[in-house]
Amino acid sequence: MTVDQLPVTGRTGPAASAGRATPAAQRPRISMTARRHRAFYLFTAPWIIGFLLLTIVPMAYALWLSFTTYDGISPHWRYVGLGNYTELFSDPTTWNSLGRTGLFAITSVPLSIIAGLGLAVLVNRPVKARGLFRTLLYLPAVVPPVGVGLTFKALFDQNSGAANGVITLFGLDALGWLADPYARYVLLMSVLWAAGNIMIISLAGLQDVPRELHEAARIDGASAWRTFRSITVPLLSPVLLFQTVTGVIASVQTIMPLLLSPDGTTAGVTALPQSNYLYMMHVFSQYFALGRYGYASALLWVLFVLILIVTGLIFKFTSGVVFYNVDPEAKK
Amino acid sequence: MTATSLPPNSAPRVRVRANRLVLYTVLVALTGLFIGPFGWLVLSGLKTPAELAASPVHWLPTDFQWQNFADAFNLIDFLGYARNSLIIALIYAVLVTLSSAWVGFGFARLEAPGKKTLFGILIGSMMLPQMITLLPTYLIFAKLGMVDTYWPWVFWGLAAAPYLVFLFRQFFAGLPRELEEAAIVDGCGYGMIFWRIFLPQSWPVLSASFVIAFTWSWGDYIAPQLLLSTDKSTLAVAVMTTYVTSAGTPVANLQAAASVMYVVPILLIFLIAQRGFVAGMSTTGLK
Repeated sequence: MTVDQLPVTGRTGPAASAGRATPAAQRPRISMTARRHRAFYLFTAPWIIGFLLLTIVPMAYALWLSFTTYDGISPHWRYVGLGNYTELFSDPTTWNSLGRTGLFAITSVPLSIIAGLGLAVLVNRPVKARGLFRTLLYLPAVVPPVGVGLTFKALFDQNSGAANGVITLFGLDALGWLADPYARYVLLMSVLWAAGNIMIISLAGLQDVPRELHEAARIDGASAWRTFRSITVPLLSPVLLFQTVTGVIASVQTIMPLLLSPDGTTAGVTALPQSNYLYMMHVFSQYFALGRYGYASALLWVLFVLILIVTGLIFKFTSGVVFYNVDPEAKK
Repeated sequence: MTATSLPPNSAPRVRVRANRLVLYTVLVALTGLFIGPFGWLVLSGLKTPAELAASPVHWLPTDFQWQNFADAFNLIDFLGYARNSLIIALIYAVLVTLSSAWVGFGFARLEAPGKKTLFGILIGSMMLPQMITLLPTYLIFAKLGMVDTYWPWVFWGLAAAPYLVFLFRQFFAGLPRELEEAAIVDGCGYGMIFWRIFLPQSWPVLSASFVIAFTWSWGDYIAPQLLLSTDKSTLAVAVMTTYVTSAGTPVANLQAAASVMYVVPILLIFLIAQRGFVAGMSTTGLK
């Protein structure tokens, strides 16, 4: 099956018949450029069609639902215009869960980056068995979310958890880690457990830093901290920017609060401790516990727009700071 | 920087050695901190329910309850759920690897008006919050009667994943031009060039992509929880939700044992495929 046959057979309507009617002798006249163009669209088609059907259409559907009272059961749903939006903006739960999500993102993202970068610098030193250290430090980052949730539930269980075991050794009272107000710290630690991810990516960046730069800095008498701040960080800044953006997006949509809850199913979302009742969990509770698809879709669209704005702001404010080291060989 | 590069004076040597000691202590302590939680999960899986309920904490089980691992297999249809997870992960990983390679080839080797814009959308879509699109997608799949089937994973697989497309694009863009030029002169179509020339060259990326997609699917919790009924669901859902007695109380020790058995295959796959995996991650993270 060659590409130059496919578009012809794949086409329908007049275009297809015109294609077939073309005498065979004329076919080679299709220019190389035209062939390449056609081939490009054929090759990218799975993604384009998939993106339309599995992203654009669902988002448009959610936008439509957000103007209705649709709940999946009642046939008497109706169009309410901006009603869902005015309701969600006047509901304190929206603002509280949004605030908690913001706080979670502002703490978890920088802490993960600092931890990941710190680990990268450590395992970039010429130490024995450094491959082993790297592997072991990275390993938690490949543990699937359900594994992370259950691990942290075991670790912070009120009776059988190691955390309470340690603090009672020091004569302190056992804490209800998975309940208010401590649940948020468990959530934060569960994110930091995957800092190996940022470590590996930063490590690749660290190894790209030319040796001469470090040597020049040392000859000039720069301290280790100064070298780190003025050479390593600027050269890693594209990586760090990428990690910041993906980190913020990941923290906004995390389901970890659910996995740390006693129940763990989407139906059990209402039993979450207050401090882990993040915006996404609010969406879940409207979606699954109450079946308010219309209202929940409005919540989703608000979150989507907020993410776009925040991402845009991050790019805008870092555009002067991020240093792109353009590799001349990479350009054609 | 090694000790030998310093003048043969004993004082700095002692300092270097002390620094080394601190470095190793920090490294070992951190590694312990990172591996510790998983060790605790394994230990919890080896205790009796009484030991888990006891206060203060029983650090080590009196007798290691290896039987728990067998019991975790029998309390629920562990193998059945593992098979479901495996089927879904294989369907998704094979399809999405092939479709992403196909699309990646287009972006790497072909030109057409609008390519820049499309590539921009591709990169931008990597940052789309998937949980936001998943919820309405679920409603649509439900409307189309595809709940409780594996069709959603077929479609997600066919649609290519932007992250993997980017991985393949980077790889294909780095191959020499001559590779397809001769084939074009010979009258080969691009489909043939992709299938016969580029794909066989790309084993490292193919395997990295397969491993990444497989771990995504194996680790996914929300999509199978929404789209599949309990007995058709995946191991992730079963481990999280089905370890309860008939009275509804959780069986924590068996659940811990089960989650160890759920996680270990992924850790093993990672350890085996480590090099390709890490190489793939750093490429997309950087360039």
